[in-house]
Amino acid sequence: MIVVDGIAKAFGRRREIAAVRNVSFAAPDGEITGLLGPNGAGKTTLLRMIATLVLPDAGSARVDNCDVVASRYAVRSRIGVLSDARGLYPRLTARENVRYFGTLHGLDGAALEQRIDALFATLGLAALADRRTAGFSQGEKMKVAIARALVHDPHTILLDEPTNGLDVMSVRMLRAALRTLRQTGKCVLFSSHVMQEVAALCDRIVVLSQGRVIAEGTAGELVARAGTAGLEDAFVALLGSDEGLAA
Amino acid sequence: MRRPGGARVLRTLAILRKELVDMFRDRRTGTVTLLSSILAGPIFLLLLFNLMASQAERARTLTLPVVGAQYAPAVVAYLERQQVTITNAPSDYDAKVRSGDLDVVLIVDRDFAHDVAQGRPATVRLVFDRSRDRARASIAQAEALLGGYNRLWGQERLMLRGVTSSVANPLRIESDDVATPQQSGALVLFLVAYYGLFASVMGGMAVALDTTAGERERQSLEPLLMTPARPAEIVVGKWLAVCLFDALVVTLTLTGFYLTLAFAPLPPVGVPFLFGAREFARFLLVLVPMILMLPAILLYVGSRARAYREAQANVSVLLFVVSLIPVVQLFMQRKEPGWLMFVPVSAQYSLLNTSLRGEAPALVGLASSWIAPLTIAVIALVAVARHLSRESILSGK
Repeated sequence: MIVVDGIAKAFGRRREIAAVRNVSFAAPDGEITGLLGPNGAGKTTLLRMIATLVLPDAGSARVDNCDVVASRYAVRSRIGVLSDARGLYPRLTARENVRYFGTLHGLDGAALEQRIDALFATLGLAALADRRTAGFSQGEKMKVAIARALVHDPHTILLDEPTNGLDVMSVRMLRAALRTLRQTGKCVLFSSHVMQEVAALCDRIVVLSQGRVIAEGTAGELVARAGTAGLEDAFVALLGSDEGLAA
Repeated sequence: MRRPGGARVLRTLAILRKELVDMFRDRRTGTVTLLSSILAGPIFLLLLFNLMASQAERARTLTLPVVGAQYAPAVVAYLERQQVTITNAPSDYDAKVRSGDLDVVLIVDRDFAHDVAQGRPATVRLVFDRSRDRARASIAQAEALLGGYNRLWGQERLMLRGVTSSVANPLRIESDDVATPQQSGALVLFLVAYYGLFASVMGGMAVALDTTAGERERQSLEPLLMTPARPAEIVVGKWLAVCLFDALVVTLTLTGFYLTLAFAPLPPVGVPFLFGAREFARFLLVLVPMILMLPAILLYVGSRARAYREAQANVSVLLFVVSLIPVVQLFMQRKEPGWLMFVPVSAQYSLLNTSLRGEAPALVGLASSWIAPLTIAVIALVAVARHLSRESILSGK
């Protein structure tokens, strides 16, 4: 469960570039919550604040009741993050990449190996497990990055534009993986500027624009609120323009 | 639940282990660095010894092209008695000396016999190019032989007039060289000590930049920072890995020197320095502060750069400073001041030279030489850890 309350962040020498302004929302367990917004709406900054990498200027965010500032390392143990930066170590095998992060999360021995085997089986990586990741395709690298983010079985999963640069097969694989996580009661929060992506997957949608939440609810609620025929029109109506949004 | 301290040590060790595996899997960097370090000693010593041997050889068997040998048969006969091979100089001897084909040419004046008969000093001329290192031994030999003939001839003339030769030689110059056999050959000393220092810079360079700037460039730094590993643990783990690699490179380089001097069929030139097992150990001991300090600085430089190439450019400044300091010291011909032991690189260079001269480095000097490098290492590591916990580390993609 993620609870964000009045969080804000500005960058620049004199804090003149406001990236996130007074954002509040909640992402409950057992649901997939989507952050939808055009490029530059503040999605990445918001996710980084929840992931404890960026300190908020004001407001707070809590993951399973742990504050992201006061107990940042407790939060890190509870979350699995698939960020925009998802580089692997090309000279290590897929298994070694995931094992490294498992070790840093305090896992070891047979339990860790079993966890890696299970993840690789789910993601269809078993055949590649002991090959170096240098020659992997984008989709294969993505799968390893997902396994790495999930190795410590986090209760909360954050994903920043996870479908960027992926082919159709990989996108389908990712969607299936996220639905599986939802079924096991995890809290999934993911950002995207692709409407179809959000519409296809999310139980709840938080629409961001220029650092603010401009709408929140299920797809049906958003359509009703905007008074439009379909979801796409609803987004355009809510944002006031379709700039930076991809269908 | 483990104690928090134990978890920290475990994470640091996990980072160290992963970095070591990563380093040794990097074929290109690994092979080039390790191979060049083990081969440096043998190649360098073979070249150096062959140069020294060929210079000695040139001085021993001087071949002297002469123009106008027929004007001074007595001079030529004297030179031949001194084992000099006399040849006829080619007509373009001037160009040949300029181009380096001939080391030195002797020209006997056409009026040699006439001047001698008139009681005037007769003229012989040496043509050479002193800026050519290779020719220096031959030039010195030719000058010494002609000077010797001049003295001999003068003494004979004085004796004919019933004067003792000491009248013309009021000063007797006695030389007493206190250099032990190991103390001569300063240039060789310089080069070997220089190479030892150089290995400690070069050894950690590629791997330190790869694990910082490279990690950032490959976009694996952000995921790493999102694990429970503290910045300090990440930095210490990486630092230890680079230090170990650096130590390996330095050890391999010194092993190359040691094995070459111990077993290779080097030309016998009277080795002017010692490098046995004892010097090997002293070298390592002297270089430990460098092996701890330089990786820390390299990590700092690497972590400030956004990309590997940028880091490489910045690190060349460090390389320049470290390689310049010993050169400055070589040209500083006075006795080294006491505070030098507190200057990183300078102190190590000075201690390496002491070891090569076959002396044990003074313990006080050794201890002083540790202070500055260790302080710098700690400062650099703290700076890297602080940098890693800053938000700006994420922005530069």
